[in-house]
Amino acid sequence: MSQAAVAPKGIGTRVIQATILVLLFALLFATTRVVPEIHEGVGTIGAVGFLLLAGTLMSELVETIRVPHLTGYLLAGMAAGPHVLKLIDHDTVRNLAQANALALALIALEGGAELKLSIVKRGLKSLMWATLLQSSLVVIGVAGIFLLLRPMIPFLQPLPFVGVVGVALVWGVLSVTRSPSAALGILSQTRATGPVASFTLTFVMTSDVVVVVLVAACLTVVQPMIEPGGSISLHEFHALGREILGSVALGTTLGLVLAAYVRLVNKQLILVFLALGFGLSEVMRYLQYDALLAFMVAGFVVQNLSRQGEKFLSAIHQMGSVVYVIFFATAGADLDIPLLRSLWPVAVILVCSRAIITYSTGRLASWIANDPPSVRKWGWSGLVSQAGLALGLAASIAQKFPSFGNGFRALAIATVALNEMFGPILFKFALDRSGETSAAPELTRASLTPAARPS
Amino acid sequence: MNALLLLMGLLLLSYIGSFLVGGHAIRGFGLPSGSEYLLLGFVVGPSVLGLVDRAMLGVFEPIADVALGWLSFVLGLDYAFLGRRRVRAGNAIAACLIALLTGGSVAACEFFVMRRFTSLRGTELLLVAGGIGAACSETTRHAVRWVVERHRAEGPLSNLLAEFADSDDLLPIVATALLFALVPAEHTKIAIPQLGWAGITVGLGVLVGAVAAVLLARELRLHESWGVLLGTSLFAIGLAARLNLSFVAMMFFMGITVAALSRHHDDIAAMVAPTERPVLLPALLLAGARVDPQAMPGLPWIVGVALVVRIAAKLVAGFFVWLGFAPARPAGAALGLGLLSAGALAMTIGLSFALRFPGPIGDTILFTVSVVTIFGEFVGPGRLRAALSQAGELAERAPQRVAAAAASPEELGSGVASP
Repeated sequence: MSQAAVAPKGIGTRVIQATILVLLFALLFATTRVVPEIHEGVGTIGAVGFLLLAGTLMSELVETIRVPHLTGYLLAGMAAGPHVLKLIDHDTVRNLAQANALALALIALEGGAELKLSIVKRGLKSLMWATLLQSSLVVIGVAGIFLLLRPMIPFLQPLPFVGVVGVALVWGVLSVTRSPSAALGILSQTRATGPVASFTLTFVMTSDVVVVVLVAACLTVVQPMIEPGGSISLHEFHALGREILGSVALGTTLGLVLAAYVRLVNKQLILVFLALGFGLSEVMRYLQYDALLAFMVAGFVVQNLSRQGEKFLSAIHQMGSVVYVIFFATAGADLDIPLLRSLWPVAVILVCSRAIITYSTGRLASWIANDPPSVRKWGWSGLVSQAGLALGLAASIAQKFPSFGNGFRALAIATVALNEMFGPILFKFALDRSGETSAAPELTRASLTPAARPS
Repeated sequence: MNALLLLMGLLLLSYIGSFLVGGHAIRGFGLPSGSEYLLLGFVVGPSVLGLVDRAMLGVFEPIADVALGWLSFVLGLDYAFLGRRRVRAGNAIAACLIALLTGGSVAACEFFVMRRFTSLRGTELLLVAGGIGAACSETTRHAVRWVVERHRAEGPLSNLLAEFADSDDLLPIVATALLFALVPAEHTKIAIPQLGWAGITVGLGVLVGAVAAVLLARELRLHESWGVLLGTSLFAIGLAARLNLSFVAMMFFMGITVAALSRHHDDIAAMVAPTERPVLLPALLLAGARVDPQAMPGLPWIVGVALVVRIAAKLVAGFFVWLGFAPARPAGAALGLGLLSAGALAMTIGLSFALRFPGPIGDTILFTVSVVTIFGEFVGPGRLRAALSQAGELAERAPQRVAAAAASPEELGSGVASP
């Protein structure tokens, strides 16, 4: 199918999009009121369709005020979700979240494939300083703020001071998690190229490995502080070593197989991605490997150890555009708004302090590494977003420490919600301001262009 | 077998299906309607080997819903189109009359036989008789295309039969919408007459189709076209399933509406056409696995009547075609046997009944339709080939696999020459 550049969208287009969006909400609202009880699977099908359409339309509408598409997806999900209009219920959101394995696989593959060795090498000094400082100063700084907020946090009250310090350290480690999906979503929309985009991509993708190591180290250290009678055990590191090495080995093998497939067959990659997303993710879960890391390594191998990187990325982009909408709209529907309402003062302070510390640390790291001016000014902006990784860690921490786990998780959900909403807006703003957002028009079908229309 | 393995199996079938339409392999490969996959599903299903049990099939119901809905959308989008041109109105009406004669005869005979040999009465009787009739009424376009492709048929009769096969789907779809409307959702908060539910089925299909057409008509980015098509399709399937309406009918009308309202019909058809086979094969496997030869006492009678009456009705229809259409004259009065193939639509309707009415009603319809499809698979293409041979429309040397493999998907529809 031929392609051509698309003309900017006029007011007529926006009015039509808004009308259709309202119509979709009205249709789903009417049917959920006419038939409130349904079989779970049925609700899931309709919800996927609705989120895909409503997310796309909402993203188009918020584009007019220069807000990223990703925020539009989140807003559509929030509006339709179980806490606002209740068009999509909790069970459906839970079912949709289970299907996120596919989205995460694609995001990790894309992230790995976007990491070109030449770019990584060029920015290695920046990356090392940023990783070192962001992983230490942010942990300490945010943990300190958390400690100061002790009187405002109910679940800390029963704990002794040493225990609170332990929980604060865990919170600090949680705060260095980033969102590869949000960064890739924004980069995919803006098609940004330049120092800020490259730095953010490299940092965010490698930070996944850093975070899992940090979490293991932190949990080992704080265990005796939080639970009296507990002792330091290196079991966490043993399991971690196995997980990381296994994931890298499996990812490398997968990358080589994918590269060979793209070179020799190069057909039906969408079905291959589906099989990987659902099948291989399940196998890795069984083996207790890190699927995100393995897929990221696979993408990296295809990009850097073969000549199939561009073809591979193009196939991921085709599928990714649909997957991103569903993934983030589902995340929006899953946002616990009543919880956010009850915890918002503490959450806002924690989010702002994390952003300020991230900014200061970013400036310091850039100054030491002698980064280009744009990275010095905006390099930190892509590190604010948080999403699934932070929530996953919070859930496992809640499971490990039942004495304060539920409160900890609730606060984490509230702060991640804010970072998830505002982080992408900040990152897109930074890319726009640094002039890295692509000015080239996007592609559309030739028959949709004005020139091809009958007069 | 666990659910993950079944999912991987379905993806593998989908992968195989994609090569059967992709030009990489030969499109005339395998059986015309893919009945071998139906049989494979039957063998691995609970009735034979039991590798896939009923509970697991239940897990895959949403996937089956989506597959059937998508197939119906593709059928609707391509309805009354042969390649890129519209089927002539006269031929489309004739095709509908053939479907009415076949489906009506089968349904009426089933009604009387079942009233005598089974305990079904009232709405249940109507559902089973009507469902079998609706599913038995079509002639699958796949079989006609398969014969045309495999034997390089070309000429006015090939063209006429391809037009019939491409435009006889409307009647069974409307019948399905009406039959589903007989049993609306249980916990509905408003009272609507049964005919009203059928109207809502069509109306929602048209409305969502119009939404898709409008969104695709604007300056939509390339990657978003798929998002719009998938989003509107899943949304419509979800609405229909929530209201317990026929999603097959809703999606068919959505497809017709997109084809009618969008200036980009050709582009959209080209986008979705390659997905038909990859979706059909897993759907056939799931349908086969659900087939239950002990669905109801008196099942052999029901199946026998469907087979015999369908053959008779097609023969009569073929006779009228022979009488009324000049291109059919050289083929002989038994032309109707060439119209016996059933396939994608028949199985889609059969499986949709089995999903919506689990138990004796759905299982009886699905089993009967499966037998009719397999029978049609072995009789229809052979008779069709004979008819085309009699009409002198077959190439000298057949089959021409290499040539067939080189042809583009559009040529499949328009490969038959204009009269």
